[in-house]
Amino acid sequence: MTPVAPSDRAPGSQQPGAAAGLVRRRFMQGTAAGVAAGALATGGAAWGLGGSLASAGAGAAGGADKDLVDLTGQHAFYDQPHPPGIQTLPQRHAIVMTFDMVAGTTRGDLQSLLARWSAAISRLMAGQPVGQVQPTSAEAVAQDTGEATGLDPASLTVTVGLGPGLFDERFGLAAKRPRLLRPLPELPSDNLDPALTGGDLSLQVCADDPQVCYHAVRNLARMVRGTVHTRWTVIGFGRASAGAGQQTPRNLMGFKDGTRNLRTPEELDSHVWLKDADWMTGGSYQVVRKILMNIETWDADRVSDQEKIFARTKLEGAPLTGRKEFDTPSFATLGPDGQPVIDPTSHVALASAENNGGIRILRRSYNYTDGINAYGQLDAGLLFVAYVNDPDHFVRLQTRLGASDLLNEYISHVGSGIFAVPPTPKVGHYIGEPLFA
Amino acid sequence: MPVSPSRRLALTAAAGLTALALSACGSSGGDATAGGGPSVAGLTAAPVKDGAAQVAVTLAVGSGGDACQLDHATAAAGPVTFTVTNKDAASITELELMSDQRILGEKENLAPGLPAVSFTVTLGGGTYQVYCPGASVENQTFTVTGRAATAPTGDAATLLAAGATEYGTYAVQTLADMQTAVANLTKAVDSGDLAAAKKQYALARPFYEKVESAVEGFVLPGFTADDNRGNLDYLLDMRASNLDPAVGWHGFHAIERDLWQGGRITDRTRTYAAALQTDTAKLAGVAKTLTYQPEDLANGAAGLLEEVQSNKIKGEEESYSHLDLVDFAANVEGAQQAFAYLKPGLEKIDPTLTEQVATQFDRVNTALEKYKDPSQAGGFRLWTPALRATDAAAMSKTVQALQDPLSQIAQKVATAQ
Repeated sequence: MTPVAPSDRAPGSQQPGAAAGLVRRRFMQGTAAGVAAGALATGGAAWGLGGSLASAGAGAAGGADKDLVDLTGQHAFYDQPHPPGIQTLPQRHAIVMTFDMVAGTTRGDLQSLLARWSAAISRLMAGQPVGQVQPTSAEAVAQDTGEATGLDPASLTVTVGLGPGLFDERFGLAAKRPRLLRPLPELPSDNLDPALTGGDLSLQVCADDPQVCYHAVRNLARMVRGTVHTRWTVIGFGRASAGAGQQTPRNLMGFKDGTRNLRTPEELDSHVWLKDADWMTGGSYQVVRKILMNIETWDADRVSDQEKIFARTKLEGAPLTGRKEFDTPSFATLGPDGQPVIDPTSHVALASAENNGGIRILRRSYNYTDGINAYGQLDAGLLFVAYVNDPDHFVRLQTRLGASDLLNEYISHVGSGIFAVPPTPKVGHYIGEPLFA
Repeated sequence: MPVSPSRRLALTAAAGLTALALSACGSSGGDATAGGGPSVAGLTAAPVKDGAAQVAVTLAVGSGGDACQLDHATAAAGPVTFTVTNKDAASITELELMSDQRILGEKENLAPGLPAVSFTVTLGGGTYQVYCPGASVENQTFTVTGRAATAPTGDAATLLAAGATEYGTYAVQTLADMQTAVANLTKAVDSGDLAAAKKQYALARPFYEKVESAVEGFVLPGFTADDNRGNLDYLLDMRASNLDPAVGWHGFHAIERDLWQGGRITDRTRTYAAALQTDTAKLAGVAKTLTYQPEDLANGAAGLLEEVQSNKIKGEEESYSHLDLVDFAANVEGAQQAFAYLKPGLEKIDPTLTEQVATQFDRVNTALEKYKDPSQAGGFRLWTPALRATDAAAMSKTVQALQDPLSQIAQKVATAQ
């Protein structure tokens, strides 16, 4: 392999116009003005990668700027075939937060929580406050904390997950347990911190504006205090997965992530959505992993070795047996030394559908950072979120990856959770309502 | 008595019908026909069933946004049952029946899809408001025909006012007890017995912590508000973190510093103790002149829990002695007392919230239970950095779960203009 110096910003296909070194992402406010020049994303711009710079005033002809962000974007909550935040094109920012039901809470408390959350989520996704920001009474506390006032919906989605614990003896719901929902087994290389694992409920909140994202999490957590305690959270920035039509973004290892992700409705039908699953039909299973990266060690590794680990080139993201990003990897191709060009223990080889009986999962990951750790190192990694119609698909993939992935030297799975994501409610109803029928 | 219960009841029984301004029911005009059919919203009186007039309220999406629809906007005097169903109005989560600023009855957690809920209130003739925060039209008039209510005995406002008065007595008594305990502390300090002084310190701490948010903020005569030399709260309870160099160390925590960090009693310690005794007497005197409104009790209770969250859980209140859990328990006890005095009235206004707060108080007390240690002066384990590292987060969450419902009370019980 020929090492590629990170500074070699070849004006290749994936970064037109980025050669100047400053990758700016243009935000579009309003629909008519379209290309009102460059309101920079607050946090987003600094992390910018893969975004392209359309020439100002060009009207974004022919989708030249595929990563243009329209903050007025809005997704429907009620009456959808599937829950939001799964097939939705990944937004820029994400927060996953999990919760535990407080000891002594009742089935009625859980019912009220799900109904309150559903109503509030429908408001938040429409860019509305969950209640009064300015109460009528001087003695009243605000119903909505107010920091999203005046902000656009920013394509906010909120995805509610139900953990296996909800279906124990506490709430009389054992008979309603989604068929495949059970705690994940211990997997090879797991280094899980109990404080970052599990939860009775999960919220995946995604938006193109980090403040809209945080406002949603904060208000949803606030309205159910006393019924639940917060358990763990990961605050993600910068999508590390692509939906249909989006450019493949990069994770913090600097590699494209999600080139072979599920994209089409047909693929999601086959691998993500639950069918004939009683009240869960149309929903899915959500696996969340907090994957710590040993950033400093990784950065000290030569790029040729990094490419061997992933089995892809760094800049283009092409499989080592191909030239372009979307070339299909050829696992049988041998090199001059008679060994496979793609190492059988590379990340791509171990994770590929071809080598796993056709198993595929929808990845919807984000980068995260927790600042600096106790040793003065950068504390960052991947907020891995996957959607599957059978959690065992994730288990089988991670069993192989955890056992022999070349990447394991640089990563550590420290947090984990599994949740069932119920189908979206019809208007006038709430998430999980059939549980209480 | 700070409150006159019937003061703001609008007694407009006779004028009621003609003055009606129905704002959001989609109904206009029409003559009153008492006991008329139930199908048309507006001026027909709500039908009586099981001894109560029945009013159905539907929360639903309307053309102008979420609406709060009453099937009848008038009823005959007597018991009235409001049954509330949220069909699909995601922005409305509560409904209140009000007479001027007072809440007579209400329902919360009205999310779409949940079963209908109801509440019954006994109403005299007059005009009331149905308040639906978040609705396109938030306030609607509800008219009751017939005899005007005479000032009722035992109604929520009366009970709340009585509770506020009784709370004043509790505060005065607590500060009288504080005087006794501080006298014991001063005696122990004067004797030079370090162990005895530490013990008396622990025993003297809880009283102020029980009532501080009701009595703090008093400035002694002759001082401006920004002069800490005249600020009783500063003089009694200042900590290193809010030390005013112009005034210097005073009060409990100055003594705490000497006893625990210094490890000995000096003349300076004796001066602190003597001043503490004087200032405590001044506070006890001031407290006898105070009167309280129900919302003062509610805000005071919320303030005590803020104290718990911001100072005790973090171990900043008793940074030398680590007696934070003693103060913590006293803050909670004081808040619970204030709540208890409001409870008889609050239950009539909002039984759900009352029960919620009571439940959360129980949970906080249960959480405190495991730290009880009769062998320690003050009765609780020391809140050391090591213990905080493992236990503070869980305690904070438990207190937070109480803070949120508690913070709703002031609005419910407010009677001030």
